[in-house]
Amino acid sequence: MEWDWQFVIESLPTLWQGVVVTIQATALGSVLALTVGLFLAIMCRSPNWFISQCSKWFIEFVRGTPLLVQLYFLFYILPDVGILLSPLVAGVIGLGLHYGTYTAEVYRAGIDNIPKGQWEAAKAVNLTKSQTWKEIIIPQAIPPMIPALANYIIAMFKETPLLSAITVLELMNQARSLSNFHYRYLEPMTMVGVFFLLISIPSVIFLRRLEQRYARPHH
Amino acid sequence: MFGNFKRNLLGVSLAVAGIAAAGLNPMGVTSAQAQDTLERLKEQGYARIAIANEPPYTEVTAGGEVTGAAPEVARAVLKRLGVNEVVASVSEYGAMIPGLQAGRFDLVAAGLFIKPERCAAVIFSEPDLCDAEAFAVKKGNPLGLTTYEEVAAHESARIGAPGGGTEERLALEAGVPRDRVVVVPDGQSGIKMLQDGRLDVYALPTLSIGDLLKKADDPNLEMVTPIEGTPVYCAGAAFRKQDTALRNAYDEALAEMKESGEFQELVASFGFPGDAPNLTSREELCGGPN
Repeated sequence: MEWDWQFVIESLPTLWQGVVVTIQATALGSVLALTVGLFLAIMCRSPNWFISQCSKWFIEFVRGTPLLVQLYFLFYILPDVGILLSPLVAGVIGLGLHYGTYTAEVYRAGIDNIPKGQWEAAKAVNLTKSQTWKEIIIPQAIPPMIPALANYIIAMFKETPLLSAITVLELMNQARSLSNFHYRYLEPMTMVGVFFLLISIPSVIFLRRLEQRYARPHH
Repeated sequence: MFGNFKRNLLGVSLAVAGIAAAGLNPMGVTSAQAQDTLERLKEQGYARIAIANEPPYTEVTAGGEVTGAAPEVARAVLKRLGVNEVVASVSEYGAMIPGLQAGRFDLVAAGLFIKPERCAAVIFSEPDLCDAEAFAVKKGNPLGLTTYEEVAAHESARIGAPGGGTEERLALEAGVPRDRVVVVPDGQSGIKMLQDGRLDVYALPTLSIGDLLKKADDPNLEMVTPIEGTPVYCAGAAFRKQDTALRNAYDEALAEMKESGEFQELVASFGFPGDAPNLTSREELCGGPN
């Protein structure tokens, strides 16, 4: 087994296409996860028993089942009821919903951390429900959550190879296809690792910065 | 903290170097060990084979039993060599040759077609299973696709093929762009994706498509075969390069089976032509000695 630089150089453009899809899936998945999580967290606090129970049950259900199974459902089973999603869209929805249930928990903790006095004060100055959320609660709750949310985004990024199971041509799938064509795993799989490191190490450093900036336990 | 990070990075690079160094001698397979691979297999009483799950070539039944023409031929040949059992692992086609080289299997008995680029990586037995290429398409072939070149020339047609299989390579070599060659994990998924409109063409050998269409029993699907521009391929069992002694012994036993008619009967029971493998040879299919 020898390392073949020529093969590495030849395969870089193909792998790069995979990197682009991986980043797309992570970026779109993050937007969805952050949005879905916020809505789930708010719905869990709903005074309507039905809504709050449903969203709690939904969170438990999605967290309790593997992402891979959910992806198979979105990709292979939804077409039976007439919903045909492209592989990338199915993948983004899978990642977004799955991680949305995790971010919901982060939001919940952040919102619970807002002192009760803030809610009471908002009520005292006659703010409406939506004004209270938009102007008082969310702006205070979000900064301490940022490091935890970013952590889930990095975790999601590292889960994107699962999308290869539903034929998304992301980095892992491109590497597998190269391996299949050339009967060599060493270079493609090493390069996958390198690409992931090249993105995740700066992300981790960035995350540390966020933590230093926002996660102030005593404020 | 940053210093800590640097130290970690150094640790990672050392670990990578260690892995790379270990990789230089894969599994510690030396030529001395290769000499008596057959002895070792006889002693342990079984051979590890790589299979796919693509009836009638290879099949794992609902009960977990391994069958299909390729493993059955291998089983019969190995029995003649004094190896009574086979232990099969299901693998993607593209993973079979690297897995063989890494010592995960003793041979590949998956109906791997004998092709020059594969001959460069492994050694084959004489051919055993021959088949033409086919497409599964929607009824009436709405896009009118009958060759790989037509798929490449079409602006949006998507073709499904097994990962690392002959059909994936045929599609890529015909110039179908990577994002329109969908790697299909297994036959059922391929048919499902064709039914759902995710694929316009699902490419496999004729007997495999025939088997899938029979099982799917869907009047909205049909088969195009043979595919113009593709030859009739013949498969053989594949071995590690250093296992020539095992391969030669395998060839001898296979030739005996062909002579006695046992081979023809066995492959015919799976729908394969018994005489077609004799019309060609490994050397011809490899484009040189192998």
